Amino acid sequence: MAVCNLGSINLVAHVTNDGVDFDKLERTVKTAMRMLDNVIDINFYTIPEARRSNLRHRPVGLGLMGFQDALQALRINYGSEEAVAFADASMEAISFHAISASVDLAAERGRYPSFDGSLWSQGILPIDSIELLKSARGTDLRLDTSSTLDWDGLRDRVRTTGMRNSNTMAIAPTATISNICGVAQSIEPAFRNLYVKSNMSGDFTVVNPFLVRDLKARGLWDEVMISDLKYFDGSLGAIDRIPEDLKALYATAFEIDAHWLVDAAARRQKWIDQGQSLNLYIAAPNGRKLDALYRLAWERGLKTTYYLRSQSATHVEKSTLKGTDGKLNAVSSSILHSAPESIEAMAGKACLIDDPTCEACQ
Amino acid sequence: MLDWSEPAAHLPSARKLAPAVVPEDATGLGNIDRNGGRVRVDDKAMINARADVNQLLPLKYRWAWEKYLAGCNNHWMPTEVSMQADIALWKSKDGLTEEERRMIKRNLGFFAASESLVANNIVFAIYRNLTNPECRQYLLRQAFEEAVHTHTFQYIVESLGLDEGELFNMYREVPSITEKAAWALAYTKHLDDPSFKTGTKETDQAFLRDLVAFYVVFEGMWFYTGFAQILSLGRRNKMVDIAEQYQYILRDESIHLNFGIDVINQIKAENAHLWSKAFQDEVRGMLRDAAQLEAAYGRDTMPTGLLGLNPGLTEQYMEFIANRRCAQLGLTPVFKDRENPFPWMSEAMDLKKEKNFFETRVIEYQNGGALSWE
Repeated sequence: MAVCNLGSINLVAHVTNDGVDFDKLERTVKTAMRMLDNVIDINFYTIPEARRSNLRHRPVGLGLMGFQDALQALRINYGSEEAVAFADASMEAISFHAISASVDLAAERGRYPSFDGSLWSQGILPIDSIELLKSARGTDLRLDTSSTLDWDGLRDRVRTTGMRNSNTMAIAPTATISNICGVAQSIEPAFRNLYVKSNMSGDFTVVNPFLVRDLKARGLWDEVMISDLKYFDGSLGAIDRIPEDLKALYATAFEIDAHWLVDAAARRQKWIDQGQSLNLYIAAPNGRKLDALYRLAWERGLKTTYYLRSQSATHVEKSTLKGTDGKLNAVSSSILHSAPESIEAMAGKACLIDDPTCEACQ
Repeated sequence: MLDWSEPAAHLPSARKLAPAVVPEDATGLGNIDRNGGRVRVDDKAMINARADVNQLLPLKYRWAWEKYLAGCNNHWMPTEVSMQADIALWKSKDGLTEEERRMIKRNLGFFAASESLVANNIVFAIYRNLTNPECRQYLLRQAFEEAVHTHTFQYIVESLGLDEGELFNMYREVPSITEKAAWALAYTKHLDDPSFKTGTKETDQAFLRDLVAFYVVFEGMWFYTGFAQILSLGRRNKMVDIAEQYQYILRDESIHLNFGIDVINQIKAENAHLWSKAFQDEVRGMLRDAAQLEAAYGRDTMPTGLLGLNPGLTEQYMEFIANRRCAQLGLTPVFKDRENPFPWMSEAMDLKKEKNFFETRVIEYQNGGALSWE
């Protein structure tokens, strides 16, 4: 019996003009871990089995949201090596402090009862699991497994002091709380820069505030731009007025090649003891693309993916925009030749051999 | 994969050049011509062509085939949407006002009859006269979708425990619904006459009139007030399950409407003489009449108005929609410049929706069979 006890750090709230404020991040992670650990004791359990198992193993899952906002604040495109490296560095810090916080809590409140015999007790951290996976498969994961923090020191503390929690990290979807906080979900690129979040509580229009800020700064935020965003379903690619750098920075989930999501997730995975809710997006899926993507996810050592999102075959007309009908029309409404009133007038019509636009022979 | 290339040119054509003569058999039911030539792309036409035994290939109108594929990929069934929340709300004493209940019932009553009227029109009036096989392929798909929609209303009636007699008889017991049904039915009836045959200017125009009545007016205008009414409730978290059903129907209807628009525009392009100034005015008149019938229906379904919705606004909305349909057909607008009075439709209809699979049925999908393996 397992109980979900999840929390997510709003990453963009830790980004300043000088980059990520790692001291602040450390403080937040420590507080969050203490809160999640408290929840285990004060939670209401509907069945005794859940209570028993939760108190015995004390699992929690700390994750993050606003990953894309953080990238946008740092002016890094999601589809880039720089973003992949940022996924690595930010997760390494969260992981280091989360595990470290659980060790501190163990010193303060005691180890979780089933600690003995666990991977933690053997000094095996998530980064070490990657090595186990490599040797089990006998292949290289083609993954950068470097680290920057004092993991040897932490490993010793984990082994000797122990852990308060059997599990510490998981990337939750943050489907609703991210909307409440006004950031992009979890570790994901934006679904669209303008879209409707539709859930059991109703429909909610969501707009990317970073984009609006950037467009305002460049004097591009006006009625026409709002209409264009609606018309092009919240994606910037087809809007001529938007400069290329903004198009790249605000590329939506369907515009970013899905392999970037897998690459970033793989670099994150080496620090996470549990899984990631990793949504993947393919606008027009086919067997070959699906095979390549899921094979890549497996090769890189990802433990999990989440939903695969695609798009429907057709969409309804835009009800509040004028002059936008016709996305579903293939035939022009204008008649090339003026309408004659009688069949007789048609008789003279023949192949216009000297007119290249004549389609009589097509 | 289908071969889009032109068929071999040396084969004899079934249709002689300058097809001024209407073929004997435009229905596809004539005797098989054992000595006839193979059907070539050039032989195909929207109306008054030799339908032969409905030869799909070679394709001439790819747009029709693509709409057929899109319709298939959008496949859904009403029973996939749970009605739990709506049942609870409908049965609760004070969850809905009397005005809301009246509007919902009349709305359902209108659609329940209308989907069947549209289906009948496809089978009895359009199929016989639209001589192109790829268009007929779409018609067969569309006819099934109308059945799915009728099924939706049966499912809603059953789920909510509504009086089925009351709902399914509204088309003759509620005057404003009767007026609309009767207006459209006249067009079907005219074409279903066994002696009716396209091939003259008069009958070809009669066929166009039927297409306008059903695709442009019925599915392209009247349904839209109905959608607005239910989506407006849905946005206030009322009858959200029906609202979800309507979003599926709306997606289907969007293709129906635009198929109809393409058919009309293609017939116009091939038979420019039909689209005379007088006829254009007649079509505009039809759209104007239809908007007026709809205004009466608006007054009838919500005499006192509901939160965010009243007869005046729906009338303005219908005029806005009518003008859009005019633009799609290349006609001058029938009403003065109108805005959509319901800006919230932007949220309900225009923007892409991100939904969670565990909360609701996601609308952004394609049927599994559509997945290609290259």
